[in-house]
Amino acid sequence: MTAAATVSGIGRPRRFGKALPVSLWALLLLTPAFVSLASVSFYPIISGLYLSLTNTSLITQENEFSGFSNYVQLWGDAQFWNAWWHTMWFTTASTILETVIGLGMALILCEAFKGRGLVRAAMLVPWAMPTVVTSKMFGWLFDGQNGIINYILLHAGLIDQNINWYGSPDTAMMTIIIADVWKTTPFMALLLLTGLQTVPNSLIEAARMDGAKGWTTFWYIRLPLLMPTLLIAGLFRALDAFRVFDLVYVLTGGGPADSTETLSTLSYKVLFSTLQFGYGSAVSTAMFVTEGIIALVFCLYLIRQIRRAQ
Amino acid sequence: MTDIKKGPVSGSKPVAHVTIADRRQFLIGSAGLLGAATLGLGTGLGVRRARAQSRAEISFASAAFFGKETFGDLIKAFNESQDRVLVKNIELPRPSSSTEVYQGLVQQLARRTGTPDVFSQDVIWIAGFTAAGWALPLDEYFPADKRSAYFSGTLNACTYDGKLTALPWFMDSGMFYYRTDVLEKHGGKVPENWADMATIAAAAQKAGDIDFGYLWQGKQAEVLVCDAVEIITSNNGAILAPDGKSSLINQKAAVDAIQFLHGTIATSKISPQDVLSWDEEPSRQPFTSGKAMFMRNWSYVYPIAQDAKASQVVDKIGVAPLPSFPGGKSSACLGGYQLGVNANSKQREAAIELLTWLSSTETQHRIALNFGLAPTRPALFQDEKIKTEQPFMASLEKVFTGATARPITPEYAKVTLALQSGISKALVSGNVQAEMDALATQIDQIVG
Repeated sequence: MTAAATVSGIGRPRRFGKALPVSLWALLLLTPAFVSLASVSFYPIISGLYLSLTNTSLITQENEFSGFSNYVQLWGDAQFWNAWWHTMWFTTASTILETVIGLGMALILCEAFKGRGLVRAAMLVPWAMPTVVTSKMFGWLFDGQNGIINYILLHAGLIDQNINWYGSPDTAMMTIIIADVWKTTPFMALLLLTGLQTVPNSLIEAARMDGAKGWTTFWYIRLPLLMPTLLIAGLFRALDAFRVFDLVYVLTGGGPADSTETLSTLSYKVLFSTLQFGYGSAVSTAMFVTEGIIALVFCLYLIRQIRRAQ
Repeated sequence: MTDIKKGPVSGSKPVAHVTIADRRQFLIGSAGLLGAATLGLGTGLGVRRARAQSRAEISFASAAFFGKETFGDLIKAFNESQDRVLVKNIELPRPSSSTEVYQGLVQQLARRTGTPDVFSQDVIWIAGFTAAGWALPLDEYFPADKRSAYFSGTLNACTYDGKLTALPWFMDSGMFYYRTDVLEKHGGKVPENWADMATIAAAAQKAGDIDFGYLWQGKQAEVLVCDAVEIITSNNGAILAPDGKSSLINQKAAVDAIQFLHGTIATSKISPQDVLSWDEEPSRQPFTSGKAMFMRNWSYVYPIAQDAKASQVVDKIGVAPLPSFPGGKSSACLGGYQLGVNANSKQREAAIELLTWLSSTETQHRIALNFGLAPTRPALFQDEKIKTEQPFMASLEKVFTGATARPITPEYAKVTLALQSGISKALVSGNVQAEMDALATQIDQIVG
């Protein structure tokens, strides 16, 4: 397809070019890209949507159209809602923490100081690590018996006995959020740093001339100008955090008492442990819809911000 | 062809440093080979085709186990031992990635093309494969008198809906590890019921002889179901009714058993709260570093505990059947891989021949020695060679006698997820009865 289009385009430009109107030419040239994208991106989505309307299961060998029955079941599935709330909580908490801490880091790294290049590079190390490695590392840090966190807290007198971080529903999710914040904050800092660098220095200098202190400059000049970057970075992070899988899978497997089950781990279990492709696709579609809503909220807010700025 | 080509090439290597006499012999040899090669060129193709026609070609798929040899070597040995059947070995992922092995098998079986003809499967998949119509019933090939040579618990796990649909191969089960030195100070008698175990463990802990009395696995994972099956069965309870169509997990026997597990953390405090997030390895580490008195785990712990490089309790440990409740019998959760024949196999007779060979006394003997995987034939535990080379394995006969299958239902994958979640909730909250009631409702919906 691609080859044919290119060859005819180069070989006989005149005759061919006149025979076709310009708009059709454009469409023709876009076709290869569209076909390749459609086959790897749209087709799986449509196929997943269709699967979610069937009772497909590899084990029972059923494969029939079942309308919206999977979604009706999903609506009444306590496991699903439990995972949904955990995922939302994880997404909100980690995105807010990462944005706030990342902004702080970006503000520091924006200033000129000795060895800034080195610090900027070093900052990215946690982000460059594979998540499974991070998970194992945090598994050891927060280990209930030999973990260094327990050791420090115990010797600082903050706790009177070892805490089993991953074994209690009160602390398990919190610990996973901490691990995620440690890992992904540098990514936020990097995005925000590029945003900060686009803020014209002249504006800050003008403010200083008018007698504005650091905080005022930040609040009235840098932050409003940074807002679009902040929202886009937040959107990226939220969508990424929403599909958290590896941290949970390695550290707790969804336990204890389902307290760390997220939508990704749940859909993995339904799809690949029980091989219910129909119902599992419904869970995935519900994830897809929720992510769509999150993106929509962010985009609406972003558009309003941009409009207001204009 | 390939064999002939290889001859001179691999033979030419040692030439550099052999005596002249050797070299002459080699030259004569290779001349002979050359002659054979010319002959072979003429007839090789024809010979090969004839061979392929006379031998039934089948395939065998299994999770990849390693030891002194691989399953590939095993299949090669079978191919060389006879000239009727030629088996192709399909290697699936390692048993530690059990979900991937399961997916691999299901994908092939669901195609119903007859490949693989013979396969090995985790005990918990048997019912599902049978219900899907993928497993060939084996009753006519293995009548009752042939079956009595296997452990009854394993046979039970290989039977679904009254039909034998898998043949026992090798097994493992949960067992009770104890520290002989600490136990010596506290009566010296291995506890046979749970209450005694808790009393001794608490006393040893109080006396400061040990950090933890009893370690088990409470992580929301498959192993939690194994721990639960053992303790519930040892109280004469069960997870599913005998017909597999309803749940008994909210009956008194099961609730009391789970309550006991919760009590080890909450009341008697012989287990650290950490067991709630521990699977096999995290619970093994404190035991082999000398911090714990009793532990429930699989057989893999023993060689580690006896390895001076990894363990501080070398020669200080013993293994026994798990304790039970008054009136109950010790129970050990059954693990291991069993053999099945694809119902769509086009070479049924050949498949049965391979199956029979793999599960035979001789092959199980070989697997025990070369892979360290325990036989499913009790008689082999009396074998002198196994007794000397694998003394620990030989001592397991008593433990394996109590082997109990996990719930036998084609919906096992759903049931186990519900069990993991429900039992974990009960252990965390302590509201055992309420959580078991909710769990029973959920399971009834799945299997009913």
